[in-house]
Amino acid sequence: MKKRLGVHDNTLIAYLFLTPALLGLLLYTVYPIFGVIGISLTRWTGLQPPVFVGLENYAKIFTEDNFFISAVKATLYFAFGSVVSGTLYAFLIAILLNQRIFARGVFRSVFFLPYIIPGIGASIVWAWMYEANFGVFNYFLGFLGVDKIRWLGEDLTATPSLIIMTIWGMGNVIVIFLAGLQSVPKAYLEAVEIDGGNAWHKFRHVTVPLMSPIIFYNFLMGIVTNLQVFVPAYTLTRGAPNNSTLYMVYLIYREGFQRNNFGHAAALSLIFFLFIGLLTWVVFATSRKFLFYEGD
Amino acid sequence: MRKSKRIQKYICTLIAVILGLACVFPFIWMIRSSLMSNMEIYQYPPRMVPKNWMFENYPYTLKVFPFGRYLINTLSITIPSVCGVLLTSTLAAYCFARLEFPGKKLWFALVVSSILMPSSVTIIPIFLGWTAVGLSNGYAPLIVPAFLGGGGFNIFLCRQFLMTIPKDIDEAAIIDGASHPRILFQILLPLIKPVLISIFLFTFILYWNDVLGPVIYISRNEQNTISQALANFRAGFGTDYRAIMAACVMSVLPTVALYLIGQKYFIEGIVLSGLKS
Repeated sequence: MKKRLGVHDNTLIAYLFLTPALLGLLLYTVYPIFGVIGISLTRWTGLQPPVFVGLENYAKIFTEDNFFISAVKATLYFAFGSVVSGTLYAFLIAILLNQRIFARGVFRSVFFLPYIIPGIGASIVWAWMYEANFGVFNYFLGFLGVDKIRWLGEDLTATPSLIIMTIWGMGNVIVIFLAGLQSVPKAYLEAVEIDGGNAWHKFRHVTVPLMSPIIFYNFLMGIVTNLQVFVPAYTLTRGAPNNSTLYMVYLIYREGFQRNNFGHAAALSLIFFLFIGLLTWVVFATSRKFLFYEGD
Repeated sequence: MRKSKRIQKYICTLIAVILGLACVFPFIWMIRSSLMSNMEIYQYPPRMVPKNWMFENYPYTLKVFPFGRYLINTLSITIPSVCGVLLTSTLAAYCFARLEFPGKKLWFALVVSSILMPSSVTIIPIFLGWTAVGLSNGYAPLIVPAFLGGGGFNIFLCRQFLMTIPKDIDEAAIIDGASHPRILFQILLPLIKPVLISIFLFTFILYWNDVLGPVIYISRNEQNTISQALANFRAGFGTDYRAIMAACVMSVLPTVALYLIGQKYFIEGIVLSGLKS
């Protein structure tokens, strides 16, 4: 028995089954990391063979490239703006749906749906609603006496407009939070009641601590996802107005695929990669302070 | 007490209805605009409901926006990709859940940490790699990655589910002389069907909605995917809003239909993706 299940034949079959995944690891994780480093040290236009230029691309990014710093700022603004407000939005809706309520499942679907529909379709409708002269948002705001706003046309409002649209698409987080809220043990909540606590005490001392790892995990994932925002910038604003929506991935795309500056785009990619890594680490390192894990 | 609870329930439902309406408003707006004439769309103050329901906008749109062809294009990327993801991620998951072999821990750690790799960072080297082999213009760069493990997260998810199935089941099968593929495909996978359906649905949606990939790798209009074609259509026909809106509705509808069919698995899949902590 032991012999037939011996190490040898398992090894063979395991590596056979694993071949696709290991190739994927090699070609889509290991190679790109080294590739992006290598390419970033060249001048590469795609037409001529690459020329080794050392750290020239990096030097340019930090000295001459006016777009880089503004892209970093715009990306951070977008990512933190959308994830902080999106988390809040999702948490409030999840709390609402966790109350005694009719047709909870229907509401859950309604709030979830924007998450799975194609980003392009959503962007186009939102752009039309944001439209300054004919758009329905300005029409509604007109009732409140607000003058017409060029939502996507002004530096001040462009990113917030895209953030609102993005928050609308965060239905997945609502579903996750709702599941988390439903798994808060009733016994803990009852214990607060027995001790004379009110709804706020239950919320503050049971629900929030128990939910904190879930909130944190989704916050982190949201940051990493939204730092890589592309579709709204690509469809709606093309980086305009005044580069206020020129987010990093759109900048990389533009340098690489519209201007054929592969070396420059690769250097941007690597900086972006380190940036995401550093940010993730910082969020992780600071999280210890406010996170509650069962058994702590 | 009971009465106040009932009132509370009504109030909460009312708030949910109001917020829910706000949430579906873009959908309503999309559909309503797709059934109007351009003149009516540009009317201000805007009409909430079309005066004449112009269903003929759809046949008209199909003439200027060949949805059928884009649909076939999108499906010819999406379907093979979904198959690739399901096949290769379950193969890998089986190894990590069931087999003992040298290097297992290391490979598993690498696969799991590859989840953290931000995909937008790797587009340049991967594109230049496809260019080097002469395949940078077409579907191969979009489909092939699906056959290379299907993503660390899917492998991890399948492995977690396979771990919950008692090993006695496959040990009994081995004694009966079943081969490894047979154990995986005929015995184990049917037992984790719900998670496979979730992976299927999310992978489908992911490929269906993808924009960056097609934008980089597909240049000819005849090969465009729905999302990509829609973006180009808007850029090209910027003022013909009834057609743009009808095209939007057509691109959104399949995902909504898929959600309604697979609701349960969507919700379960989302919860799985967000609760591991």
